[in-house]
Amino acid sequence: MFDVCSYLWLIPALPLLGCIATAALGPRWLRGQSHWPCILGAVGACVLSVLTLIAVPQGAVNADGAPVPYLCSYYEWFRAGDVDVSFALRADGLTAVMLVTVTFIGSLIVIYSVGYMHGDPGYPRYFAVVSLFLFSMTGLVLANNFIVLYAFWEGVGLCSYLLIGYWFSRPSAAAAARKAFLVTRLGDIGLFLGILVLWTETNSLDFDVVLGQAHTLSAEILTIACLLLFAGAVGKSAQFPLHVWLPDAMEGPSPVSALIHAATMVTAGVYLVARCMPLFGQAPDAQLVVAVIGGFTALLAALIALTQTDLKRVLAYSTISQLGYMFLALGSGVEHHRLAALAATAAIFHLVTHAFFKALLFLGAGSVMHAMGDVIDMRRFGGLRKLLPVTHWTFLCGAAALAGFPVIFSGFWSKDEILAVTWEASRGGPHAVIYFVLLVTALGTAGLTAFYTFRAYFMTFWGEQRLPEEAGHHPHDAAPVMGVPLMILAAGAVLAGIVLGPTGLFGGFLEHYWSRSELPTRLQAAEAGGHALNVPLMLISAAVALGGIGLAYVLYVRTPALVGTAARMLGGLYGWSRNKFYLDELFEALFVRPFAGLARLCKTLDQYLVDGLVDLIGQVPAFVGYVMRPFQNGLVQFYALLMALGVAGFLLATMLR
Amino acid sequence: MSPVNLESYLLVGAALFVLGMVGFLTRRNMILIFLSAEMMLQGVALNLVAFARYHGDLGGQVLTLFIVTVAACEAAVALALILMLYRRRKSLDVSLWQELREPNLEPVVDDEPLPAPPPPPELPHLPVAGPKPEEQPHETSHV
Amino acid sequence: MALFLDLTDPTRGETLLTFVRAHWPIWAIVGLGFVGLYTLLPAPRRSAPIWGGLLTAAAILLAGVWLMPRDGAWPESVLFYAFSLLAVAGGILMLSQKNPVHAALAFALVVLSTCGLFLLLAAPFLMAATIIIYAGAIVVTFLFVIMLAQQAGLTSADARAREPFLASLTGFVLLGTLWIVIDRTYNVAPLLRQLDQVAQAASWGEVEQVWGTAPAKGNDKTLPALEPLRRAFPGGPVDVLEPAWSRKDLPALKRSAQALLDYHQEHGHRRGTIAVPGHDAAKRPELPAENVAGLGRSLFTHHLVAVELAGVLLLVATIGAIVIAAGRRGEGLR
Repeated sequence: MFDVCSYLWLIPALPLLGCIATAALGPRWLRGQSHWPCILGAVGACVLSVLTLIAVPQGAVNADGAPVPYLCSYYEWFRAGDVDVSFALRADGLTAVMLVTVTFIGSLIVIYSVGYMHGDPGYPRYFAVVSLFLFSMTGLVLANNFIVLYAFWEGVGLCSYLLIGYWFSRPSAAAAARKAFLVTRLGDIGLFLGILVLWTETNSLDFDVVLGQAHTLSAEILTIACLLLFAGAVGKSAQFPLHVWLPDAMEGPSPVSALIHAATMVTAGVYLVARCMPLFGQAPDAQLVVAVIGGFTALLAALIALTQTDLKRVLAYSTISQLGYMFLALGSGVEHHRLAALAATAAIFHLVTHAFFKALLFLGAGSVMHAMGDVIDMRRFGGLRKLLPVTHWTFLCGAAALAGFPVIFSGFWSKDEILAVTWEASRGGPHAVIYFVLLVTALGTAGLTAFYTFRAYFMTFWGEQRLPEEAGHHPHDAAPVMGVPLMILAAGAVLAGIVLGPTGLFGGFLEHYWSRSELPTRLQAAEAGGHALNVPLMLISAAVALGGIGLAYVLYVRTPALVGTAARMLGGLYGWSRNKFYLDELFEALFVRPFAGLARLCKTLDQYLVDGLVDLIGQVPAFVGYVMRPFQNGLVQFYALLMALGVAGFLLATMLR
Repeated sequence: MSPVNLESYLLVGAALFVLGMVGFLTRRNMILIFLSAEMMLQGVALNLVAFARYHGDLGGQVLTLFIVTVAACEAAVALALILMLYRRRKSLDVSLWQELREPNLEPVVDDEPLPAPPPPPELPHLPVAGPKPEEQPHETSHV
Repeated sequence: MALFLDLTDPTRGETLLTFVRAHWPIWAIVGLGFVGLYTLLPAPRRSAPIWGGLLTAAAILLAGVWLMPRDGAWPESVLFYAFSLLAVAGGILMLSQKNPVHAALAFALVVLSTCGLFLLLAAPFLMAATIIIYAGAIVVTFLFVIMLAQQAGLTSADARAREPFLASLTGFVLLGTLWIVIDRTYNVAPLLRQLDQVAQAASWGEVEQVWGTAPAKGNDKTLPALEPLRRAFPGGPVDVLEPAWSRKDLPALKRSAQALLDYHQEHGHRRGTIAVPGHDAAKRPELPAENVAGLGRSLFTHHLVAVELAGVLLLVATIGAIVIAAGRRGEGLR
């Protein structure tokens, strides 16, 4: 095979090239064919990613038998003092898995978009920005130091902004884009500060150096740095309290929701924490915060998702909830070496399966929207399973995977790993009780997840057939260009879990990334005992999932009248869930209003004080002009007199020197 | 060898220049303004010729020759301009042209009255001699 | 302000007061002329012209006395004074005449007397050209215009002057300053007087009366009169004065001053000679006797381009005058 470094740079470069080509040629020449550069770039990057995935385990191993990551330094970006930031890429197991996920799902979504975005006036712009996003995202996971990571981190934020506000003429879309950008920026400040802390402490920005020196840092510094990094992850991955941007981000086109706000970009935070696991693993306090935030977010988002009527919003809250699961897993990697590796593996595993089934669900929702004439309110349609068979079956696969339907569907396996990790964490250590509470929360959330997922599924596809008037007379199922990606994703959603999970393929592939080479020496070596399935836990979670599905079936298919009764019984909780626990209103009152007031104050100051000063300065020439005006009396001789006076005075002054 | 020193010539030139300048600033007849400017040129020319004499260099005289040339051109153009202006206002008074003043300024007018002109001299009346001429029809000029 | 109006420069500074006091005769003469000229300028209520005339006449006479050579009258200087008097008097007359025709005639007088001065300055061709062009062409043409325009007689504007006081004051300041510049540059008499006093000095105190106190040791203040002396006697033994002065060496200083006086005597820089001070009269080139031939040679060799340009200028001015005077279509030639 080729040397990895010889093609690694092409993975971000191909989408970038696609972006430039689309942007340059699209509006004028390609027009309706603008998707080709983007598709070629994405598929090319995907092929190269698979090559990388194959090459990584075959690479060199160090003395401990751990594979050495490929480090490819292409060009020195800048050098300041003794810091030298080079544009270096890195290929190891984690990167390879992320790359394949991003580029594979990205390719499918781009192909799907050809059908979905057909005829949109901004067609070339859409594909240019999507290509730019793929460039940024692949660069993010390939980065070998914090600065390059940060640059691409902001790059994906920018693409997210551009795509949420894709229909920028719609005020709600513009507001959602602005909200997403500003809220994630809050987290980005934390990330940047965290990078600075790490830099001042270790005097380096390279992952290997920084993570390798983790055990030399004091516990306080480590905790602070981890919490700051986690703040970045909270913003990007929409965790409580910065999760408010993600539901609004559904203003963007559905494929964008699938690609960026479900499958890839929002998982950048998970990737970041997983990448920095050697740091987090040694900061149990930070880990606890990560776990609590993750668990709480999972529960909160699931509760909100219970009552939403907008299909895409249900999926958005479920994304937040699932991301919370991942952070729960990451935060559970405490106590010992082996558990940290297991935790990170579980989180990434869930990331991958989630990427499949959540992309599938969003694309399915997009397909429904497409057929329903852009109506997404579940109360306005129903019983679509005969009308949209492809969408129905694929959506069912995704829903089952998300709900954690036992044994075959992928969500079951990845969620089970997370539960197992949390169970491990609750067995010992100072915070065991908290972890046990988190485990119970996660189990409850699993039930809620199953319930709201199938609530959405039943409301959309079962019951009597209802169509909104926007749908027109003959709503049609997804065209092949949209249907085929749906089917591929459905296959992935079903099979990914059982193929990769219990067989140990995934774990075996990823684990040695954390298990030997980089995990610090301060943690005690793991006790032996391989990856065992926790059968009782699996049974409980399966029961909970089935219970949730059953409840949804009873409420929404069998006796829909019960829904109202249940809502009345829950009373206040129902209203709180319906209104997203009033978090948006809380933020509005706490932050938006005061800042708006401050802005108005500044505006007033600017208008009256600063402008007044400027106007005053402007008045001075006017006043001088007023004084000098009588000299402009129009008499030529008077002007000449003034000139002569000037000459005489000048001559006299020269003489006097 | 001339016994008159350079200083004296220069001083006469300066006096002519300054007198011309004062005339330029005070006289209101456009033609006199122009003649005052010519007088300033005369002062300068005198300077140049004096220097030419005392440096033994004809350059000064050549320069004066050019001054005369330019003065001739100036005279031609100035005369044309004065004619144009005269046609508009039927007067040579330069103070009639003050439209270029600031818009909210009052025009400058002469407020001090002139003394009354002397009465016309009493001319002697001649006695009528010879017969009264016949009334001729009024002839129109065709010029 | 420090650019050029630094009136408080301690080394070279002169206040307005000391400046006026140092040259008070000049300012007095010019001031006399200013008052006279102001009273003579046309105004609705003018005092009798006799007073103004007397004042200006006095100023002119005093100036003549100030300039008068101390060593006798030559025919040439008599002619110079006559022509100068006529020129300046003609100028004043032109300014003061209410009738523009008289003023134009006074201007012709100025031109004619200037031409006389040209003749004295060995410029016969210029004299002829100026008489022909100015007195013959320009003045006569303008007289025609005046007569055509003012058939109705005198206008009120001719009896008034615009800003007579300010204008006369400007002229007064300008003339005084110019005179002082000329005097400082070309009049070596005060310097000679100073040198004479120093050469005759009996004590160091007398030197200090002339040139101020010598510097304390280590001060790099230079002899104040050094720069004017250098300008007045280029090539002369000027620089030996400076070390003697700063050493307070009276005999050496007196010797140096006497040497400079001798140098001046030897090279004939009397006041009233034609030479620019400092130039050796014997080595100074003379103007060629054939004035017209010399002018022609100079014009058509050194200044050929300028001559051609002047020709173009004349042509353009002619065309321009025709166009302007003709006015727009239908307006002119009526």
